[in-house]
Amino acid sequence: MIEIEALTKVYGPARAPAVDEVSLYVPRGSVFGFLGPNGAGKTTTIKMLAGLITPDSGRVRLGGYDVARQRSAAMAQFGAVLEGSRNVYWSLSAWQNLMYFGRLKGLRKAQVAERAEDLLTDLGLWERRDDKVGGFSRGMQQKVAIAAALIAGPPIVLLDEPTLGLDVEATRTVKNWIVEQARELGTTILLTTHQLDVAQELCDRVAVMRQGRLVADLPTRELLARFRERDRYEIRVEGAAPPGFDAVARDGVTTISVRVSDPIEVYEVVERLRAHGAVIESLTQVQPGLEDVFVSLLNEPSHAA
Amino acid sequence: MTFARGFAAEVRKGLLDLAAGWREVLIQMVTFPLFYLLIVLFMGGGQLRADLLAPVLLGMVALTFIHEQVNRVFWSYLGDIQSGVLEQTYLTPLPSASLILGRQVAAAVSALPTALAVLATGATAIAVQGGRMPVDAQVIVPLAAIVLGTCGLALILCGLALVFRRIEIITQLSVAVYAIAGGTLVPLAAMPDAVAFLSRLVVPIAPGIEAMRDILLGGHALVSLPTGWGLGWLLAQPLLITAAGVVLFNRFERLARRRGTLGRP
Repeated sequence: MIEIEALTKVYGPARAPAVDEVSLYVPRGSVFGFLGPNGAGKTTTIKMLAGLITPDSGRVRLGGYDVARQRSAAMAQFGAVLEGSRNVYWSLSAWQNLMYFGRLKGLRKAQVAERAEDLLTDLGLWERRDDKVGGFSRGMQQKVAIAAALIAGPPIVLLDEPTLGLDVEATRTVKNWIVEQARELGTTILLTTHQLDVAQELCDRVAVMRQGRLVADLPTRELLARFRERDRYEIRVEGAAPPGFDAVARDGVTTISVRVSDPIEVYEVVERLRAHGAVIESLTQVQPGLEDVFVSLLNEPSHAA
Repeated sequence: MTFARGFAAEVRKGLLDLAAGWREVLIQMVTFPLFYLLIVLFMGGGQLRADLLAPVLLGMVALTFIHEQVNRVFWSYLGDIQSGVLEQTYLTPLPSASLILGRQVAAAVSALPTALAVLATGATAIAVQGGRMPVDAQVIVPLAAIVLGTCGLALILCGLALVFRRIEIITQLSVAVYAIAGGTLVPLAAMPDAVAFLSRLVVPIAPGIEAMRDILLGGHALVSLPTGWGLGWLLAQPLLITAAGVVLFNRFERLARRRGTLGRP
């Protein structure tokens, strides 16, 4: 599990806090989405979590170990793929990278070799294990970085934009693998991504940061449900729409989009349509996606977590 | 045990890099001996004078180590900072200074082929001049002092790289200054007293070079070195520089963590 308490970081006396009193709890075996626009403070938070940046105040615990006071024990719990970094040595082969990082984590040679074989096989890289990583495609390099982060079998894994720049096939492999790690092995995964469909698909819980502060921290379903009050409905009718409705016509079918604050209002709209002689084919509630929620959160003046 | 495994992994990685860059090593094995011969030619007014070949040879061997240990380690470290790989090494239970020391061991080993090429060239040139390359096992002590002292210097430069951008010029300048002030070409005894004093005090290779010349060319024993500040300082100086390197590196590292500069493009 990951525990973050009132984490704060200010880079200069005249600057606004990059991270302001952020607290989070990520339970064991869950996939936690950490979202926010560029400059929101995600990277600083993640690097404080990893012990790469010293916070001005607050505390981080990984698997119960304090990152500041029990660094060695905390790091033994942890593996990470950081965004914008190579993460592994391009001059070495995939196998050499895994052996190197495994040994740095304190594993014996035989332990690393066994684990490296499993990981490279799982990620479809076994046949290319002796090739230099510098010659790999972006997706393969990312897979090697993920394998290196996991070489010691850490109970906590941080994946910063793990599917960025990957093709469809590689993205699917990584997504499947994330789910497998969390569900079958109980690994706690902290995932940051700008690909909100990926977050919605994978994350049990989502936190959203804006200007150094958390503006949401809820289970994904609950977060989506919170915004259901602004759900849209789509009503499909035969022929043209009566005047006064927001409609799009395609292939002889007209779709009328209605935004309501109370579901009862939908029935009123249906009655009005019938009164105009419209033949209703279907009525569908449009569920908000995480992207809609994300945009709403960022556009609101403030939002309590 | 974790420390030993991490240290060994770092040394192994350095040696893999060495093997991968064998062409670069090969070029150095040609250019360094050539540089040595050119220096002796210039100093000898166009002749390979026998009285210059051996003293400059010893300075050149020391220079090879400082060049390899500082440049190889510093540039690889800077590359790791800029590519972001360095941050991954911080996500381990190991103290980071131990990994730099691992890099140093690999760099010292990497310096061996070039140093041997320079030695072989020097020995051949001396033989051609009718002389004989002196050999004395005691020379291992000053050579080890040079390697250890250079570790301290590299630690300081790597620490600076964690905090400051564009630190490359300091590294290039420091190697150039040490090449001159370390007495590689001109003995410290021939320099102004103040320069000689400062060189013996802070330049990692200076006491080592003086001791090597005393032992091999002067025929003196380690315990009775006539030039410089004696065996005590020969042993103490690299230890002090390395200790200072560890302290400064840790301070720079703490500063880098506060500023968030451990990894930056």
